[in-house]
Amino acid sequence: MRSSTPPNAAASPTSSSDSQSSEHSKKIRRLLLIAFGWLLALLIGAGVDALFAVRRLDRASQEVSRRFTARTHALGIIVVSVRIYDDQIERFLLQDQLRESGPEPSDVALKIATVHAALENFKRELDPDERGLLETMQLQLQEEEDACATVLAWRAETRQQRAFQFIGQQLIPWRTHMFELTAQISSLDERKLALENLAVAERFQSLESRLVWLVSLALIAGVLMSLICGWYILRLERQARLRYEALSRSRLELEGLSARLVEAQEEERRAISRELHDEVGQSLGALLVEVGQLSKLVPPEDRATQAQIDHIKSVAESAVKSIRDIALLLRPPMLDDLGLVPALEWQAREISRRSDMEVEVHSENVSEGLGDETKVTIYRLVQEALNNAATHASAKNAKVSIAQNSDKITVEITDDGHGFDPERQRGMGILGMEERVRRLGGTFTIESASGKGASVGAKLPLHKADSP
Amino acid sequence: MRKIRILLADDHKLIRGGLRLLVEQQADLAVVGEANDGRETVSLAKSLKPDVVVMDIGMPNLNGIEAALQITQANPEISVVMLSMHSDESYVLRALKAGAKGYLLKDSAESDLIKAVHSVAEGKSFFSPAVSKVLLDDYVRKLKRSGAEDAYDLLTPREREILQLVAEGKSNKDIANLLNLSVYTVETHRSNVMEKLNLHGIPELILFAVRRGIIS
Repeated sequence: MRSSTPPNAAASPTSSSDSQSSEHSKKIRRLLLIAFGWLLALLIGAGVDALFAVRRLDRASQEVSRRFTARTHALGIIVVSVRIYDDQIERFLLQDQLRESGPEPSDVALKIATVHAALENFKRELDPDERGLLETMQLQLQEEEDACATVLAWRAETRQQRAFQFIGQQLIPWRTHMFELTAQISSLDERKLALENLAVAERFQSLESRLVWLVSLALIAGVLMSLICGWYILRLERQARLRYEALSRSRLELEGLSARLVEAQEEERRAISRELHDEVGQSLGALLVEVGQLSKLVPPEDRATQAQIDHIKSVAESAVKSIRDIALLLRPPMLDDLGLVPALEWQAREISRRSDMEVEVHSENVSEGLGDETKVTIYRLVQEALNNAATHASAKNAKVSIAQNSDKITVEITDDGHGFDPERQRGMGILGMEERVRRLGGTFTIESASGKGASVGAKLPLHKADSP
Repeated sequence: MRKIRILLADDHKLIRGGLRLLVEQQADLAVVGEANDGRETVSLAKSLKPDVVVMDIGMPNLNGIEAALQITQANPEISVVMLSMHSDESYVLRALKAGAKGYLLKDSAESDLIKAVHSVAEGKSFFSPAVSKVLLDDYVRKLKRSGAEDAYDLLTPREREILQLVAEGKSNKDIANLLNLSVYTVETHRSNVMEKLNLHGIPELILFAVRRGIIS
């Protein structure tokens, strides 16, 4: 009784905090789900973005190198065509000194047209800052073309006289200038290429830093979330452990309680029985003796007094009888006076006397020195089973078998009554038997079916106190 | 005439007082001591050497049956009368096995005590009539239920005679003298009786005799 309050008191706050914590954990679960979704989206976004950026960069750098190659090519063509045309003019002018036939003037004009075409071709790849240079080149070419038209019309003498002068003063400076201009364009191109490469590299670097940033963000989020998850799991584990501990504690308390209940019941019965037997019973016994004395003192002629005394005697006798019956039922002194087996035999005869059921007792090897708890448990078990058989099952015969070996004592009570369904009909009596047996660490069995009688059995382990 | 010396043992003073009152009304009886529990009874019996011990079965420290056993083993000449509330055969048999000569129900102590004390002092057994009745009822009921016949009917007249004498506490030699038979013949009859009635030992034989009303 003492400990029944703490578990109840502990139970109510637990249940209210249960609903609170379940609400709480639902919220935490939702939050975690959202956070995981974000983390996943972040990672996928970063991956896709990086993929596209890399592809864009690749395309840009390809474009840069293609344009550089194309312009270098076009420049090369200009240089080569200028050389060819210069060479043609030189050969035309110096054909007399070299004593070989020079090119036709129409061929030379053709070469100049090639240079024009090359310049026009280059115009297509042109950047705005290079336009000035190209125009200068075109102007000079025009000037040369005009000059050359005159030169090409020269006859052999004129050519012999003025060839070196023209070549030295006109053609070479023009050529040098032309090559300077192409070199300028080329160096401009190279600078541009370097700049563009730098731009690509910068874009690459920015992509890199963005990736680093995203990855570290994802990493931090991941770490944060695993920390939260870890904490959440720990909390769940702790809750589960606490709940399990509370459960097992309350079960232990319950077991202890029912064990104490059985103990208290037995103790109470013993006390009441002793009280009834020792005090009330003995007083009545003494009263009977006194009444007997009194009846001897009264002269036999005094019939009225004699009858009165007889009446007192019979009332006292019936009181003695009922008190003895009650005391025996509560705590049979046979257990203490005679030991287990004679007490069981007594009980068997007692039931045979009171009811229509005949009880047989078979005992094997049962020692006298059984512990009190074991004796009482077996006695009560037999009492309950026999009473059930006689009163509820209308059995005609019952058999009690009790056998002891080195480590346990086995009891079985069978009857030929009309039986019952042990799964459904478990009265207080059967529960009480089960509880008593379990308290001593034994096993309890009950078998019955409608019309097939019943068999109640128990195996109790023997302790040191029980050994013979 | 020498008085019969009695030791009264009961853990209830009221009962002892009533018994003493009964005994002291008789001229030939004297209470020489009173004991409150089993141990005291054993030690007083040893020191006072009474003729009869009248003793309650249910006593603290040492119960009446154990005390009776110790007293009769140490001093076989002391006769023990058990006082009990139970007429059941378990009790009677245990008392007999412990060496008690008389078995008295407390209900009838007032009317039977004097008779019981006199009987056991003379070496005879004494049982409250109610005890015989309960024992017989149990026996008859059991026979009826099982359909077996009463083993007593199987005995010859001579065997019945010997059964009664053994139950009354006579030795083989006494019986041989009384019936003018040889001790050997008496022994044979006696073991036949035990076998026919399926009895093991004198206490069971006495119990049977009481049950059948052969002795009281």
